[in-house]
Amino acid sequence: MTTRTDALPTQEMTINMGPQHPSTHGVLRVILTTDGEVVTRAVPDVGYLHRALEKIGERVTYAQYMPFTDRLDYLAAMNCNCAWAWTVEKLAKIEVPERAEYLRVIVCELNRISSHLIAFGSYTADMGAFTPFLYAIREREQVNDLFEMLCGNRLTYNYARVGGVSGDAPPGFLEKTREFLDYFEPKLDEYNNLISYNKIFVHRLANVAVIPAEEAVAYGLTGPNLRGSGVPFDLRKDEPYSVYPKFDFKVCVGTGERGTLGDCFDRYMVRINEMRESVKIVRQAVARIPDGPVRAKVPRLFKPPVGETYFRSECPRGETGIYLISDGSVNPFRLKIRTGSFVTMNIFEKVTRGLMIADVVAVIGSFDIILPEIDR
Amino acid sequence: MGLKAYLNDIVEAVVTTAKGMRITARYGVNPKEEVTLQYPEERWEIPQGYRGFLHNDIKTCTACNMCVKVCPVDCISLESVRGADKKMVLCSYDINIGRCMYCGLCVEVCPVNSLKHTSGYEMASADRGEMILHFIAEDAAEIKARVARQVAEAAAKAAEAAKAAEASKAAEVPKPADLSAEAAKAGGDDPKAAKAEAPKAAPEKKE
Amino acid sequence: MEALALSLVNAIPPLAGVPLWTVTLLLMVVVAAVILVFALTFEGVGSLVLRKVAGDIQARIGPNRVGPNGMLQFLADGVKLVLKEDIIPANADRLLFKLAPYFVFVGSFAAFVVVPFGVGLIAADLNIGIYYVMAVTSLVVVGVLLAGWASNNKWALLGGMRAASQIVSYEIPVGMALIPAVLIAGSLSLQDIVRSQGGLLGIFGWNLFHNPFTFFSFFLYFTAAQAETNQTPFDLPEAESELVSGYNVEYSGIRFGLFFLAEFGDMFIVAALATACFLGGWNVPFFNAGTLPWIWGNLLSLGVFLAKAFAMVLIMMWVRWTLPRLRVDQLMRMAWKFLVPLTFVNLLGVSLWLLVFRGKGIPGMIASLFG
Repeated sequence: MTTRTDALPTQEMTINMGPQHPSTHGVLRVILTTDGEVVTRAVPDVGYLHRALEKIGERVTYAQYMPFTDRLDYLAAMNCNCAWAWTVEKLAKIEVPERAEYLRVIVCELNRISSHLIAFGSYTADMGAFTPFLYAIREREQVNDLFEMLCGNRLTYNYARVGGVSGDAPPGFLEKTREFLDYFEPKLDEYNNLISYNKIFVHRLANVAVIPAEEAVAYGLTGPNLRGSGVPFDLRKDEPYSVYPKFDFKVCVGTGERGTLGDCFDRYMVRINEMRESVKIVRQAVARIPDGPVRAKVPRLFKPPVGETYFRSECPRGETGIYLISDGSVNPFRLKIRTGSFVTMNIFEKVTRGLMIADVVAVIGSFDIILPEIDR
Repeated sequence: MGLKAYLNDIVEAVVTTAKGMRITARYGVNPKEEVTLQYPEERWEIPQGYRGFLHNDIKTCTACNMCVKVCPVDCISLESVRGADKKMVLCSYDINIGRCMYCGLCVEVCPVNSLKHTSGYEMASADRGEMILHFIAEDAAEIKARVARQVAEAAAKAAEAAKAAEASKAAEVPKPADLSAEAAKAGGDDPKAAKAEAPKAAPEKKE
Repeated sequence: MEALALSLVNAIPPLAGVPLWTVTLLLMVVVAAVILVFALTFEGVGSLVLRKVAGDIQARIGPNRVGPNGMLQFLADGVKLVLKEDIIPANADRLLFKLAPYFVFVGSFAAFVVVPFGVGLIAADLNIGIYYVMAVTSLVVVGVLLAGWASNNKWALLGGMRAASQIVSYEIPVGMALIPAVLIAGSLSLQDIVRSQGGLLGIFGWNLFHNPFTFFSFFLYFTAAQAETNQTPFDLPEAESELVSGYNVEYSGIRFGLFFLAEFGDMFIVAALATACFLGGWNVPFFNAGTLPWIWGNLLSLGVFLAKAFAMVLIMMWVRWTLPRLRVDQLMRMAWKFLVPLTFVNLLGVSLWLLVFRGKGIPGMIASLFG
């Protein structure tokens, strides 16, 4: 085929997608260079939600930092709360009562469900089907109700404490949790019938933005995005913390069932399946939760020993690692947080090359990024 | 693409669409599935430990300053002076509810349980100043002046008493209960003060 | 129209002195006004129903604050649209920007002229009815493209481009899917097509059940027409989550309202054409409405027609709240690789059928078997 050189000269168009755009999941700005509908380059521009959370950590005490972790990933505040608590406990070698650990696992997994629900719902809304979004929100409200019962807040929970949790589960909480699980589990099949295997939906996601396993590892992807590429890496299994080793659950990986391994559909399906696994974990935890105190004795003016530590936990959006240096005072000396979404953005430019504008939306949704986690 | 795959594509599209439409239709015809809460008319039940607006019971507050220290966003401000009985007397206790992030740390540390979360959550204001809850209506300077007066009086009394004691060896202790009760009463009785307290009182009424 | 005017002049003696053309003109204005009122009412009620259906499907209530059970919501919306500030972007092409909504609205509204509402209820029974509908609805492309271009907004431009390619592509399958009805009736006039589906076979007189090919034709038409009128799942030109709002992103106030009205107008046109060409139009099953007195016959047939058309509109809304959106290349593939070949095959099938069975449909043949 010969290329004509006398064709109508065309120019690439630069489009600003965001920071105000319905499907950039917050204030992400993507600078698109497009040739018609085809994206030749998509450069993410992050930082619109920077709140210096790491620097704030150097100003406040260890206990005071807990509410700030709520704002790290507000869709999975429990996970961030617990990650912080686990980090400080690891640094100060605090023994946590077992009941507290069970409660933490319950809330973490419930929060994983609610976070994945948002990922699922907003993704379908990005793809143009608005109805599943509202179904997802409906289910999430019930998780919020549970959390409200437990800690009094619906979004920013501040539930975990260094050395335990803020309060024991109120009477009826565990029963309500079980009721929710019974209600929720069949809904997943409904979602699959409604949208997951819908022909149009599959066509929109399958073979889009394929990330091979080696590449996913090389770019440091974690969480569902990594598992979507077929890498069975889950910190809950591979670097067990808390009481996770006591539970029986499966690590969900992408299978390439509707396209290539590591495409958007795989990442999407991993989340759907993970919700099922989380239900399993919560069921076991609720059944086996021991009695006892929920908070270890931690002095009010808590001063951890001098030293440094790195702790990572499996959050819904990948690995949340917290690097903490203590100089023995009441405030952390230095705090660095590694979040899944931020690292995921590295590969964004690479996978979006040559896709269509609509696919860029699909990629953002399939990464399930959240901006406060990216910008911190 | 072979003909079989081609027809398969069509059939699959029709079948999956029909599946999805069956689900939406089921929701569409079943009015019981509605989950909307008609907010101003209907409200959900507030659970026991709900973290609503903060409320400080001034009568029991000991002005220990713990809440101020623990607040990560510095939304509580407290002024106190040492009273005649060596106890702290609150001069002002303000909570900037617009800045508060309802983390509950202050409630947790309160040694006398005077600071509590109420179940109130409704506040809209066009003015940020209105979002600062004043728990002591009386002017801080007035309280300070009064306490200073009382301290001086007490000191004078103590000196007198000391003199008297020297004389009669009978000790007279100044009444501590009087002072704190008086300070608390000052807030409640003043009609103007009651009016100023109105925004604070509103969330309580909800209970 | 002129014949009607003539009969009116003959019927009402005081009109005898008035020139015929004046009466005709007045009549035309009246008819146009009636249709406009109908179209606007439908669009208003349609928007309300759309939201109510959305609410039902999405496990919520939908608008329920304005009027009893939210029935007057569309009036509030309309008033809001009219009263809102009409913003024209500073760098927009002002003339084209102002012109575009009218093209879109006229394109959708003009098609109402040939919609056969009842036995005698049709504004103009053109002998090229279907052709006319295809032609005037194509005017929408011009408007959408103008809107996209004149807004001087890249998202709007993309939306406009998408709309142009989409509407032009889907014209073909839409036309091809309608031709079987034309072949059976032997006329392009919508009134003739509707009449050809009458008779005493009841619903089996409909073109839908005429033969297997027409049955598929209906679904092909319905799919293609949804795409042609930018309904979900083919709403790429205004893809909310990709192009923010597509070609009308810079419009506000009544100009946006015109786009909005045109969208619902298109919805009705699609439903009306599907009804007229495949679902028997205003034919009352097992009954000839033409034998009734003029007024009752027309009212009955109007009711039947609207019921069918609204049912189609409801289905469109149902589809809208179920399916996700296609991607632009998939949309094109669907048109050229699926709908166009299938409609051609169908057309061939229908033609062969008509040739072999001398124009008789399956129900007709069965009926003749039993005498």
